[in-house]
Amino acid sequence: MKKNDITKAPAATGDRTNQPEILPVYAVPRGVEFSSYTDRLIEGGSGRLLLRLPCLTPEIMMDIMHKVAENRKKYLAHLKTADIVDKIDAAVQKWLNPEYELRRQAETWLPAITDYDPEMIRLELKRFMRTFRKKELLRFLDEEFDQAAVLDEFRPRKSGGMSRAYGPESIFHVFSGNVPGLPVWSLVMGLLVKSGNIGKTSSAEPLMAVLFVRSLYEVDADLADTIAILPWKGGTSALEEPVIAAVDAVIAYGADSSVERIREQVPGSKRFLRYGSKVSMAMVGREALTADRFGETVHRLADDVSTYDQQGCLSPHAVVVEDGGAVSARQFAQLLAAELQRCEERRPRAAVSQEEALAIRRVRNQYELAALNGESVTVYSSKAGTEWTVIYHQEQGFAPSPLNRTIHVFGCTALEDAPSYIEPYRELLQTVGIAVGPERLQQLADLLGTAGVNRICAIGKMSRTPAGWHHDGRFNLLDLVRWTDIEWSAEQEAERYDPDAE
Amino acid sequence: MRPESRAIVAEILQFMDRFADVGDRTSHADERLPSGTPADLELAFNELALKLFRYHFQSNPPYRKYCQARRKTPLTVREWQDIPPLPIQAFKELTLSCEPVDEAEAVFMTSGTTNADKRGKNFHPTLEVWDASMVPPFKRFVLPDRERMMIYVLSPGKDLNSNSSLSRYLSMAVEHFGTKDSRFFFKPETGLDMEELVQSLRTSELRGEPVLLMGASFSYVHLIDYCDERGIRFSLPAGSRVFDTGGLKGRSREITTSELYEAVHRVFAVNRNHCLNMYGMTELSSQMYDLTIRSCMLSGRAIHDKAGPAWVRTRVLDPDTLEPVRQGETGVLAHYDLANWNSAVAILTEDIGVQTEAGLVLQGRAEGSEARGCSLAIDQLMRANRYEKE
Repeated sequence: MKKNDITKAPAATGDRTNQPEILPVYAVPRGVEFSSYTDRLIEGGSGRLLLRLPCLTPEIMMDIMHKVAENRKKYLAHLKTADIVDKIDAAVQKWLNPEYELRRQAETWLPAITDYDPEMIRLELKRFMRTFRKKELLRFLDEEFDQAAVLDEFRPRKSGGMSRAYGPESIFHVFSGNVPGLPVWSLVMGLLVKSGNIGKTSSAEPLMAVLFVRSLYEVDADLADTIAILPWKGGTSALEEPVIAAVDAVIAYGADSSVERIREQVPGSKRFLRYGSKVSMAMVGREALTADRFGETVHRLADDVSTYDQQGCLSPHAVVVEDGGAVSARQFAQLLAAELQRCEERRPRAAVSQEEALAIRRVRNQYELAALNGESVTVYSSKAGTEWTVIYHQEQGFAPSPLNRTIHVFGCTALEDAPSYIEPYRELLQTVGIAVGPERLQQLADLLGTAGVNRICAIGKMSRTPAGWHHDGRFNLLDLVRWTDIEWSAEQEAERYDPDAE
Repeated sequence: MRPESRAIVAEILQFMDRFADVGDRTSHADERLPSGTPADLELAFNELALKLFRYHFQSNPPYRKYCQARRKTPLTVREWQDIPPLPIQAFKELTLSCEPVDEAEAVFMTSGTTNADKRGKNFHPTLEVWDASMVPPFKRFVLPDRERMMIYVLSPGKDLNSNSSLSRYLSMAVEHFGTKDSRFFFKPETGLDMEELVQSLRTSELRGEPVLLMGASFSYVHLIDYCDERGIRFSLPAGSRVFDTGGLKGRSREITTSELYEAVHRVFAVNRNHCLNMYGMTELSSQMYDLTIRSCMLSGRAIHDKAGPAWVRTRVLDPDTLEPVRQGETGVLAHYDLANWNSAVAILTEDIGVQTEAGLVLQGRAEGSEARGCSLAIDQLMRANRYEKE
């Protein structure tokens, strides 16, 4: 428990004006009562805030699970997918209004809670919410199901017979706190397959999931009542065991260590989806380094590096820069350094822990010393502290970064050589941000796909995924549902018993 | 050795001699300083530190390049605090010596647990300074109340490992402070000889002669496990003490310092105030000690914070900016050791600690950082690889 946690009895909101605002960081179905709360004080540029966390017990968890299941059974299970899409869209539309009360709350308090730059949060949140508008949701559904109606009823199959897809009755989501808003993605998936949802938030970002459920509540309280969002300390097995026992599926996000800890608790009979640790990189072809283009290329890559300080797995650890453009790889590294300095002035990096700072120092030292030893490496770094670091390597390769705006720049003669040095990272590679001409894209994509990469996107777009992407190379909804088939024989057999048949 | 090196060595030995009895700040109040005043010490420390910096800058090209990259030269460095602390990784990557390395009297190497083929090396053209730096603080912090004592050593001595600074340290302790019954219990083939050690401790117990146990922290874990398994208990004579060094992290069975001292009390009946931890590094030429024993002897009140000799200073730095933190805040430790005359005066560790009124409190080594979410930080990746290999 943090030092500034204060346990107190319910209510006691107080109306003295200098008291900090109180924000509940939980959302539960109507009818759930808590007897006590813990308050966590957040102090930021916009004032003081008390995050209110309920004190949880296994009994309360059981009650919540029961209510979520009941509410889902009574209501969500009978909604048509198209209606669910409309309701989510209605909530998302609220978020697209800059004046929306909850959006303002998010924009005010997320920077204080996460320490990310307010402007970055404002921009990224807006972009993120747009990916859940009706048209994106429909695309998302169409991407995975030939006809989304299979979620509502048995639908005829081309090969004969009929099939229907059932989502889990309930899903336990274990959220990570690195990128604000990511929990929304997971909740939307759960809603689309008509599951009751219970989410455990991370103490690093306990707010956004709750605000999203509150906006759903404004649209349709019965729908919101099929979701519970709660904060507790990961690894509290007294709370996690009853939840895992009650659900059909578990989705865990975050570092491999925490994902693995959850996995150990989930019996093999239950569906378990993991979105664990991944690394990403960028590739810049000579086409993107012509005299009129290199500036923009550098700018977009700096954007990928600075967005959420590389805390998301979509952010690049390294960039490979091809020879033959108007600027060399070394010049590219220098330009990137200058651009990252501008980013720092515009949107400063979040405060880092001592361990994170030391990790950056260690990597800087390693390569500075290697340079003193005559290796063809140069370290460009921010003057005052560890705000940004660019490590230039003359030889092609890949190296992971300690993150927080630290990136390797590798020179190379041809991007097509990439498989030789990314092979060791096969299990971990996720996104490659790429800037090459059309004639090379297909061939390079095939090389990268073969090497294990599962997402290839434009430089500057690395941290933004479109609706319907194959998260970590897999389906999103399809991995959650199970199917029931009515075979052709049953259909035919049924016809025989039709008293009115000729 | 070159005449310049000779002169430097002579000057350091002179400094040590002059300030041998000055060091930890606990004793100022109730003890008359035997020679010099703190102001003299400050001046002398600064002067010698800057002289050493110039010497390293001139005699050691890789060190010079490292400093130049930071725009630190004898012209810009005016106070000892301006000397750029050299990260300990440099002892692995660079050859840090002002004298030809193949003529060195000793090369101390780090254990190299993480990367066996890249071990940090500290070259000692002569061991005069290293030895001179070891003796007075040992007396001051370990044996303030007696000249000699029976010492039982759990870890290898210098005859078994000439590249280990700890081994030399232990052998020096026995030579300078051990009675004739002192012994080493570590055998090259079989490791720590538990049976013999237990027997000898029994004898010491019967004869009523206090014993000083010395060894790496984790060697006590093995010894305690051995005794616990067999139900062996001692009641070591009054005045006995337990000296450990090296810390307890990263071993097969991890225990905390307080668990170790509780177990020491349980098995040997040596209480917490007769236990002390020494903090030393291959990359340094001096050691720091818990003030426990000394403070108890002087004032009856135990202070567990660490202190070292007058020729060592420690700064606590913010890892982000490498600027000093405010008093009482934790940060990464940079040590300034005048005895480290051949490699670097100032080194930057990866140890986290805090400066207190009395001295220094160590909070362990930075364990590496983890990303907050699904992205994988390099440290996690390296750790994953390490576990796979184990």
